[in-house]
Amino acid sequence: MRWCAVSVSLLSFILATGQGRLLGGSLVQVTTTYAVKALQANAKVYTIALGDAEKQTTSWFEAKVKGQPTALPAVDRGSANGVHLIDITLPKALALNASLNIVLDAIHTHATYPWPETASQQDEQALKYKTDLFVLSPYHTAVQRTKIRSPSPTIHSYTTPQKVDAFTLDAPVTKTGATVTYGPYNNIAPSANNKFISEHQQSVVLHFNYEYPVLEVPILKRSAEISHWGANLNIQDEINLHNAGPALKGHFSRLEHQTQSFYKRSAPHVIPGLTLHLPAGIRNTYFYDLVGNVSTSRLRTTPSVPKNAQANQYSVLELKPRYPIMGGWNYSFTLGWDSPLADSASFDKTTGKYIVQIPVLTSIPAAVVNEAEITIVLPEGATDVDFATPFPAVSSFTSTHITYLDTVGRPTINLVFKNLTERHAQPIFVSYRVPLSAHLKKPIAVAVAFFSVFAFTLIARRIDLRIHKK
Amino acid sequence: MPTAFPLPSDLSPATVTNTASLLRIVALALISGAAIASRLFAVINFESIIHEFDPWFNYRATRVLAAKGFYEFWNWFDPTAWYPLGRVVGGTVYPGLMATSGVIYNFLHALNLPVDIRNICVMLAPGFSALTAWATYMFTKEMKDESAGLLAAAFIGIVPGYISRSVAGSYDNEAIAIFLLMFTFYCWIKALKLGSALFGTLAAVFYFYMVAAWGGYVFITNMIPLHGLVLILMGRFTSRLYVAYSSWYVIGTLSSMQVPFVGFQPVSTSEHMAALGVFGLLQIVAFVQLVRSHVSSKQFQDLLFVVLVTAGLVGFAAFIGLTYKGAIAPWTGRFYSLWDTGYAKKHIPIIASVSEHQPTAWPSFFMDLQFLIFLFPAGVILCFHQLRDEHVFVIIYAVMASYFAGVMVRLMLTLTPVVCVASAVAFSTLLDTYVDAAEPDDAEAPADSATPSESGAAAKKTKKAAAATPSSSGSALSDLVAAAVPNKKKGIYGLDTRFAIIVNAIGMLAFFVFHCTWATSSAYSSPSVVLASQNPDGSQHIIDDFREAYYWLRQNTPETAVVMSWWDYGYQIAGMADRPTLVDNNTWNNTHIATVGKAMSSSEEVAYPILRKHDVDYVLVIFGGLLGYSGDDINKFLWMVRIAQGVWPEEIQEPNYFTPQGEYRVDEHASPAMKNSLMYKMSYYRFSELFGGGPSTDRVRNQQIPKVGPTLDYLDEAYTTDNWIVRIYQVRSEDLLGRDLKSANAFAQGKKRKRSKPMSRRRPIV
Repeated sequence: MRWCAVSVSLLSFILATGQGRLLGGSLVQVTTTYAVKALQANAKVYTIALGDAEKQTTSWFEAKVKGQPTALPAVDRGSANGVHLIDITLPKALALNASLNIVLDAIHTHATYPWPETASQQDEQALKYKTDLFVLSPYHTAVQRTKIRSPSPTIHSYTTPQKVDAFTLDAPVTKTGATVTYGPYNNIAPSANNKFISEHQQSVVLHFNYEYPVLEVPILKRSAEISHWGANLNIQDEINLHNAGPALKGHFSRLEHQTQSFYKRSAPHVIPGLTLHLPAGIRNTYFYDLVGNVSTSRLRTTPSVPKNAQANQYSVLELKPRYPIMGGWNYSFTLGWDSPLADSASFDKTTGKYIVQIPVLTSIPAAVVNEAEITIVLPEGATDVDFATPFPAVSSFTSTHITYLDTVGRPTINLVFKNLTERHAQPIFVSYRVPLSAHLKKPIAVAVAFFSVFAFTLIARRIDLRIHKK
Repeated sequence: MPTAFPLPSDLSPATVTNTASLLRIVALALISGAAIASRLFAVINFESIIHEFDPWFNYRATRVLAAKGFYEFWNWFDPTAWYPLGRVVGGTVYPGLMATSGVIYNFLHALNLPVDIRNICVMLAPGFSALTAWATYMFTKEMKDESAGLLAAAFIGIVPGYISRSVAGSYDNEAIAIFLLMFTFYCWIKALKLGSALFGTLAAVFYFYMVAAWGGYVFITNMIPLHGLVLILMGRFTSRLYVAYSSWYVIGTLSSMQVPFVGFQPVSTSEHMAALGVFGLLQIVAFVQLVRSHVSSKQFQDLLFVVLVTAGLVGFAAFIGLTYKGAIAPWTGRFYSLWDTGYAKKHIPIIASVSEHQPTAWPSFFMDLQFLIFLFPAGVILCFHQLRDEHVFVIIYAVMASYFAGVMVRLMLTLTPVVCVASAVAFSTLLDTYVDAAEPDDAEAPADSATPSESGAAAKKTKKAAAATPSSSGSALSDLVAAAVPNKKKGIYGLDTRFAIIVNAIGMLAFFVFHCTWATSSAYSSPSVVLASQNPDGSQHIIDDFREAYYWLRQNTPETAVVMSWWDYGYQIAGMADRPTLVDNNTWNNTHIATVGKAMSSSEEVAYPILRKHDVDYVLVIFGGLLGYSGDDINKFLWMVRIAQGVWPEEIQEPNYFTPQGEYRVDEHASPAMKNSLMYKMSYYRFSELFGGGPSTDRVRNQQIPKVGPTLDYLDEAYTTDNWIVRIYQVRSEDLLGRDLKSANAFAQGKKRKRSKPMSRRRPIV
């Protein structure tokens, strides 16, 4: 039998909900552990509820049985009554009164905002994090506790929830070191409904110090071009980098900045550079922006790793923008490289198709990518194009891209994603067939072009247009 | 018939011709390759980047052309330049360069070769230098022969005088103009030789292209008429001249008037009157010739005298009258500065302030031309030897260009081709003489059994030359030899003499190549947007402050933010930062530039209203004091003062910026006007704090800056680059309480307002 959304009666019962939130700049990691007890035999599906605001900020989630590595399949049931429901299929049906621990890992983006909104070069950086107090659930919850851990022990303020006497008699919130704990709250009725939300749900705000810059990528354009003639996979990222920390108060003083970096105590909200992990075996790496090459970066490459080997090696790019990116500043640039096609492509003999894996993005540590446009350019003449994304795209369409020595153009897959984080750096799989005739198209086109030029010259030299013949 | 070394005798003439032709093609291909390759230092040492200042505008215009099409470009009004006036770009540029790149761009894209427009712009000059080598080959071939042509092509391919204007990235009008210059001259010579209307028309078409491409077209406009005039005066009027000149002038002038920037100048300015005058003269002379063939000699003499005098007087009077009435514009200032090198400094400081308008220093002739400058006169003298019509052209060209090159550095460019041609003629004559295997016979038989030798191309023509002037190929030299050895027959005996000369000559060529490579790589391949220095370990370190600042402006200021800087950086700001500028390198409006000069050279209080009136948001200055970059604004400052003084002589006076001893100083002895000027304040703002109390030295001027640096009340430091080369200041908006910013600032810093007198309500009792 299945549980359905409306019947939130005691089909299941949460013994305890423990929530851990690790605060960050752009990203907040939320781990929710549901200790579940089945009140009905053969319970196969468990439903998780997210508040609307929480749904907006959740850019990635994954449910697992505690201690097991595989993720559980999740089905989105959509929003209703200010609550968003997600069905999780359990690995095996639970017997009556059997219990299970389900862990939901989620990354929240855009959940913090700088406060104060401006900071001068000497100031520290503080952020505010706003979240809901209660973890919503369509089931009855016995105990709920939320721990919010700040990356630094300096917590300027935190909300003390009011009117929670119904759930706890102790202090509703406690702070130890860098951790603020809400709860435990006992005996919470099924909360995934308007009534509970309007009566009991409230938001809590945490104001904390953050010692690292807040990175945001408003738009990332990645284009991957597969070339069989060059045995090459070219990946080019156009990245728009934004410092989402407090805006710079007053003006930038180079003197200040140089003094700070001389004494090795840079302001926390400055992005002096990025360290990126690019794939192993890359070559022809380029880093330029709208006004030309940027010469201030270092690249350490490692040799190529065989396809099925454990890829624990990578090329390290220490990328330094033209100027330190202060709060509120932008920097847009283009980063690209070539890598051997064999590292990411394989040929399936049974179907006669090539399969290429292309990562959605190169992870930029602690940054959120608001919008990513991924373009995958396949070889000219590729047919039977299929692709599989690791998570659903916002939109996708195919088009034709014409570049060097093309006659009819190359099939192109265009994908748009929103709110990506480093957890989204997973491969897209593309499979296609390239007949031999398509491979030969280029040399034939070039040969025909040269032949016609020569033939034209041959004829033109032999035509005499003079009126007065000698 | 003795020969100095054995020659193969069983070669058929067809084989010789074909081999020579193949060798020529191979040699030209190699010369093209060398010409292109030697211009790539800038790309290899730095990157594919547009150089210097003007090319940035051309690049920006080309991007508009490539993105929006030709009509959009033609009608382009650029509101961001010369803010708030704007600039009608379509009507104030020579569009030839951009059109060329646009055509190449569209052609390549039509072939599915999506080359970036920037790369086309960067590679345009090297590409055209290969064409220039070919055009010079064709031109020199008309002067002497193919071997001289190949030499000339090789010379122009790598000579620094031309490379200085055509390295990869130097995307300026000159990049294509020298090719057009040489090709127009070639067509003209060809038309003159053949009396061909076709070549005359070709010359006109390329003249039109040249007009569309470079303001230096005036050089052609005067060179060809001058040649025609000299030929007439030498009594060499022929129907060939008439056909060639008339077809060139009529078509060339009409088509040149289609370029909007030129418009009606060909019929209304003095620079173009020579061409018109010679055209008229040719008609008269042709008419006179016609009359002469119909009337008797005596009548003709009288008629000729009367007609010539009348026509001359009428023409001259008409010219003076029209100039006086204003129908013909008088000579422009730039023209006068060609005759009086001090003229510009007195009357048009803007022109004089440009370094490439300075008179040429003697060493730069050697730097730019190396041993060609010694061969050049020899080549010109050799032209006198034969003195065919085309040789007259080279002689005139040599004289004119030599003069102009001495007056202005940038006109070295027009001298270079003729130096290459003349030197090639001289050098190939030398080689012809000494490679030729023929030895003087004891009998009187002329030595004319020259046959192909290793330098295939050279050999073929040797025969012709030897046959044409049997006694002396390269007669000047053999005359000399003959004079030294009077008893023997003229000529060269044995291999040793030949070797001595040829090895020497080849050595000169080799050193020339080394010199060219060195000069190109060290002197002419710096983009000047990017500076190179060395790390302690010897690796290259790029100082990229300009782009850092421009990119910061582009990314972190509103798109409408107006940037004020000295005009040198206008094009770069527009191109790289994409922000409106007050003045740029177009320098068409002296008053506007003087306004910027005044703002820079007056005190904050005076400058502030000027800045606010022009909606200036940011002020950008170049400061090299930290790094020792000598091309900075403090060193250019006197020009700003001078230009401002030209418009506001009461407010800005140059002597105020010097110490009483007449020194130009920036340390504590600097004059008050200097210390209070906006430029000084912006350059040295917080500079001494960088040294942490130690002596703060300006490394350009080697002077110590006072410990207490200048303060700014009306501007805020907005950005300073890594090496402090570019400093950007934001103009403050007016105080909200209506105070002036100076007292508002003093109040904010908690200073008491100083009162000179105690306030009193009553009048003191006397």
